[in-house]
Amino acid sequence: MRIINLKKQLGRFSIDIPYLALAKGCIHGFIGENGSGKTTTAKLIANILQPDEGQILYDGLEPRSITMSSQKPYMLHTSVYENLIYPLKIRNIKPDEKAIDAMLQKYDLYEKKKQYARSLSSGEQQKLSLLRTLIFQPEFVIVDETLSNLSAESLELFENLIWEIQKKRCITWVLISHQPHIINELCDTVHFFSNGRLIESGRKEQVFLHSQNPIVKTYVQRQAFGLLKEG
Amino acid sequence: MDIINEAMRIFTDAGIGDAVRVTLAMALASVTISAFLGIALGILLEQCHFPGKRILIRINHTLLGIPPVVVGLLVYLLLMRNGPLGAFALLFTIKGMVLAQIIIITPIITSMVYSYAFTTAPAVRAFAVTMGASKWQTQILTIKEMKYEIYFAIVTGFGRAISEVGSVMLVGGNIEGRTRTMTTAISMLKSQGIYTEGVTLGVLLLVFAFILQWAAESFQKRELENENY
Repeated sequence: MRIINLKKQLGRFSIDIPYLALAKGCIHGFIGENGSGKTTTAKLIANILQPDEGQILYDGLEPRSITMSSQKPYMLHTSVYENLIYPLKIRNIKPDEKAIDAMLQKYDLYEKKKQYARSLSSGEQQKLSLLRTLIFQPEFVIVDETLSNLSAESLELFENLIWEIQKKRCITWVLISHQPHIINELCDTVHFFSNGRLIESGRKEQVFLHSQNPIVKTYVQRQAFGLLKEG
Repeated sequence: MDIINEAMRIFTDAGIGDAVRVTLAMALASVTISAFLGIALGILLEQCHFPGKRILIRINHTLLGIPPVVVGLLVYLLLMRNGPLGAFALLFTIKGMVLAQIIIITPIITSMVYSYAFTTAPAVRAFAVTMGASKWQTQILTIKEMKYEIYFAIVTGFGRAISEVGSVMLVGGNIEGRTRTMTTAISMLKSQGIYTEGVTLGVLLLVFAFILQWAAESFQKRELENENY
């Protein structure tokens, strides 16, 4: 996927990205301060927002196979189960009940299968949102801070799930996170945003350890990416 | 026992029974049509961007406060024998009263659905896009996600329909057994000094209003309980 001369104005805030390539099959990290344009860029990629100018070239990727899990996921006014199978329902795919039960059991949601989804805790809603995002086997997944509210145990499960999916199908991921260990653990490349601009892109080691950009350097120091240096 | 017997006599009285039947028929027909119109208009107003949209929203808000008797007069002028719609012979019929009610109720439902859609629909649409839903699937999902609010809007419209007096009096003509509603019957009974029947109809209307209010509140309560579990 390539982004060329992308521009979007939202009130006083604007996104201006001359070029960004997201290599297929890689796990990309979008990092930067709050309000730097990570989520807006992700929404433009996911077709939630339409650009004012520029192009997003999906290079053969179908828009229906791009999905996004938000920091505050939208829960349908129905049960956990109905929320989970919604992507299958709209694709006329019959849910594999055994597989769904096993999945809910693994992620500690089986007991709450028939419960009203909006009554789940925020962490449980994020787990459900991630599972719902992945259930229809998308080709491009954007995870916007969804991993941040998970317990250490759940986070490990999802990290393993991501690796498992990568081994089997090698899809493209964009992870948006303020948590350095998530980016460090999972991402191949990172893209640093500041004030609506993409100011640095590259392999994570290069951005974290060798960036010459003062904004990136300050952010990295603050986020304790120095750990990577030591490692 | 005397009170019960008297109530039964009043209730089984042909005139009163007809007034209840006419009221319910008129209210159900007008609310059904207004619900379709109001839901579609409310959602379209939220989704479509066109010049004059704000003016249209203001006009709709203005119609919320329009005196029913003015609507009655306008519909009367439209339906009278020499009026633009005189050929349809709808004056002094339930259909004519339904037309007047639609003009009163549709803006109420439109306004309520628009307000709910304004706050709910963008999040539903964003979610639907990320799930890969088609435009049609997104529309269905938007309506489904607002179902409690839509029920509430319809119940509010129904409450307004059964309690209306000004427009139905003008357009319906208060003809016994044909266009006499509970409210117009109360007005007539009061002017004739027949208070017992008038009060009985008033109590019946209050019971309907209570049932509707209870239904509307139970929808909202269910919503709140689910949200704040």
